[in-house]
Amino acid sequence: MTRIWRETGFVENDPWVIETEEVKATEDQKPLLPLDEMIARAEESNDVGLGVLIRPADDVRKLEPYLYRIEIVAVDFPAFNDGRAFSHASLLRDRLGYRNELRAVGDVLIDQVPLMLRCGIDSFSVKNATALKRLEEGRLPGIAEHYQPTARHAEKGEGYSWRRRTVTA
Amino acid sequence: MYRYDEFDHAFVSSRVEQFRDQVGRRLAGELAEDAFKPLRLMNGVYLQLHAYMLRVAIPYGTLNGKQMRMLAHIARKYDRGYGHFTTRQNIQYNWPKLSDTPDILAELASVEMHALQTSGNCIRNVTADHFAGAAADEVADPRPYAEILRQWSSVHPEFSFLPRKFKIAVTGAERDRAAIQVHDIGLHLKKNEEGEIGFAVYVGGGQGRTPMIAKKIKDFLPEEDLLSYTTAIMRVYNLHGRRDNKYKARIKILVHETGAEELARQVEEEFSHLQGTELKLPDADIQAIAAYFAPPALADRAEGWPQLAGWKKQDEAFARWVDQNVKPHKHPDYGMVTISLKPIGGIPGDASDVQMDAIADLAEEFAFDEIRISHEQNVILPHVALADLEPLYRALVAQNLATANAGLITDIIACPGLDYCALANARSIPLAQEISSRFGAAERQAEIGELKIKISGCINACGHHHVGHIGLLGVEKKGAELYQITLGGSGDENTSIGEIIGRGFEPNKVTDAVETIVDTYLGLRTSNEETFLEAYRRVGPQPFKEALYGDAKAEAA
Amino acid sequence: MTDKVLTANRLSDGIAVWLDANGHWVEDLQEAIVARHAEAVASLEAIGKRDFAENRVVDVAVVEVQEQDGKLWPLRLRERIRAQGPTMEYAAGYRAADPAFIAV
Repeated sequence: MTRIWRETGFVENDPWVIETEEVKATEDQKPLLPLDEMIARAEESNDVGLGVLIRPADDVRKLEPYLYRIEIVAVDFPAFNDGRAFSHASLLRDRLGYRNELRAVGDVLIDQVPLMLRCGIDSFSVKNATALKRLEEGRLPGIAEHYQPTARHAEKGEGYSWRRRTVTA
Repeated sequence: MYRYDEFDHAFVSSRVEQFRDQVGRRLAGELAEDAFKPLRLMNGVYLQLHAYMLRVAIPYGTLNGKQMRMLAHIARKYDRGYGHFTTRQNIQYNWPKLSDTPDILAELASVEMHALQTSGNCIRNVTADHFAGAAADEVADPRPYAEILRQWSSVHPEFSFLPRKFKIAVTGAERDRAAIQVHDIGLHLKKNEEGEIGFAVYVGGGQGRTPMIAKKIKDFLPEEDLLSYTTAIMRVYNLHGRRDNKYKARIKILVHETGAEELARQVEEEFSHLQGTELKLPDADIQAIAAYFAPPALADRAEGWPQLAGWKKQDEAFARWVDQNVKPHKHPDYGMVTISLKPIGGIPGDASDVQMDAIADLAEEFAFDEIRISHEQNVILPHVALADLEPLYRALVAQNLATANAGLITDIIACPGLDYCALANARSIPLAQEISSRFGAAERQAEIGELKIKISGCINACGHHHVGHIGLLGVEKKGAELYQITLGGSGDENTSIGEIIGRGFEPNKVTDAVETIVDTYLGLRTSNEETFLEAYRRVGPQPFKEALYGDAKAEAA
Repeated sequence: MTDKVLTANRLSDGIAVWLDANGHWVEDLQEAIVARHAEAVASLEAIGKRDFAENRVVDVAVVEVQEQDGKLWPLRLRERIRAQGPTMEYAAGYRAADPAFIAV
């Protein structure tokens, strides 16, 4: 079972779907389009509220002219150890100034969620049982002290300019 | 040396608890091996032939007596009474229980140590010149920058799942004692014409399957841009490094396939967006970190000169040890001491818990409590007054730590090899022991002079054989061990990759082959002062091929 | 078909172990159960898969052995070293491997 999680909690009735040979978006759903398809759709129409799926080998900077028409960018982690999407997320937030929903899809495991959050990812498509359980319990395995600024803003950490700190309420 | 502040302590404690939780879940079956493996690797826990192996980080090879005592304690309490110092200035324990590793990490944290990122596809221990802060030829101490990089790269969310491991080395002198040109990023600290500090930046060096010498992609990077520029390199590598083939995943392949110029352009383009952002290093921060590395207050100890002369006259063995293992220091009354972990016929780089405790005591008494580990698997006391050399020597003799062979033929670098390592094809240690015994006589060693033998038990080259003056690579052929010989490698500022000279040798023939090579060198050198490497660079492989293989054509194994 | 034994490393302490006739993982190769036919090997592999999935062991592998002087002798040097430990004196109180057993 796949659920969508955000820091505010699990999301019900999420409309976004990755289309495959077998699975297509229904009436109430919206497709996360592969990059080239999304660009083609944007060029050929006035559609807004688009969803795009960024695969590891994609150049995320190609989204720049279309950002204001995109509602969600999904970055794919086909295997949890394919770390390219961490850079995609960082560039989207930092370089392109993207402000809408940024979702991790693919092999999303609990131990990587804190890293994904720091790279600016703010929603997670989660299948892994342990990850779901930990998220239901609200138990994220992150560390509050950080040694580097990242795409997600954090409070200054004590001591040196590169340090940051996540302050929990 | 660097001292943890509250932030560092909080981080490392949290990290230990995080790992404790991960180990707990693994042992309880809630975390499968394939998901756990990268997590345990990021905490330095490998699985080897006989047991787990824990690799503890010794940042840029620097530690103090208290930390060394903790390393001894861990060897005693959790392992089999010894540890192995590595070619990346770390220490390895070969028999820890997985279930003990969180406790081991907690004990390490109590003395400001950790095993973070000593494995896995992340940024590893940033290594530096083991004579940093003491060497007379240093432009500036590279360690503050190594420390800044160490902090910045710790649990970096964007760069924790790179295509492959990533190794950075920093040197602060024209003489490169950190082998920066065989690292993924090599930083050569220098001053520009205005006297400002910056770095020449090299990218794409490495050993292993495809040894490559790094390419310089920037002549002078101002120090304030260190983190911005490094981020740019890492981001280009993270996005474009190959992930389809483990053996082509290092940045050296990316540099090779993209071309150094084009890669430099890509890095520069990314850097242009990052320069001057929050990654810029404020001068105050650089100075604050550098303050931790201020040299100890070295009092004049001029009485050491005549004392030393007197001791040397009385004791030939002591004189040999001083001549070989003590190098000139910035301060004329002091020397930089190499404590050899290569006893004749012994296991290179290993130290017992008793020896580690002794080194800790001696560092506190004679060396301002500062210890280094070199990438040549020896221990360095960088600040020892000449006046203290004799009592230090006596104490070292008592611990079998006074072998007078720094840089000589018996100062062999060897990886753990097939005796320990799951990746190995052949053993390294018994070969090192045999060669060491064959050449152990002091006179013979002195006659031969500087000759660096490096042995790797497989193509991963952890023994750095590619940059050995004589390199030995163990391979497997028809179920048996075979050793390929390379000649003329060097990891210094004139880095060269050793050349394979012909068919491999069976284990019982290798030492004879080395002896043939040595005798050939002795026979053709222009004087006693011409080193093996100099002679090889002058005459090339031919005389050695002929001596080893006769006139028959030698095919590479 | 050469004789085979099943080996792995214990999850909790990483120590090299072999499967014995009682289905237990033991530290002495000489107590390993030997599979002499394809079906026996298949059942060893199944046990290995199960014990990996049940988090008792990691790095499960089938190893070729032959009987020599009444002892089980792995064909691969690597496995002989795994069975006996490092081939030199490496720590006080621990024996080096038997050179005769290790030799090719």
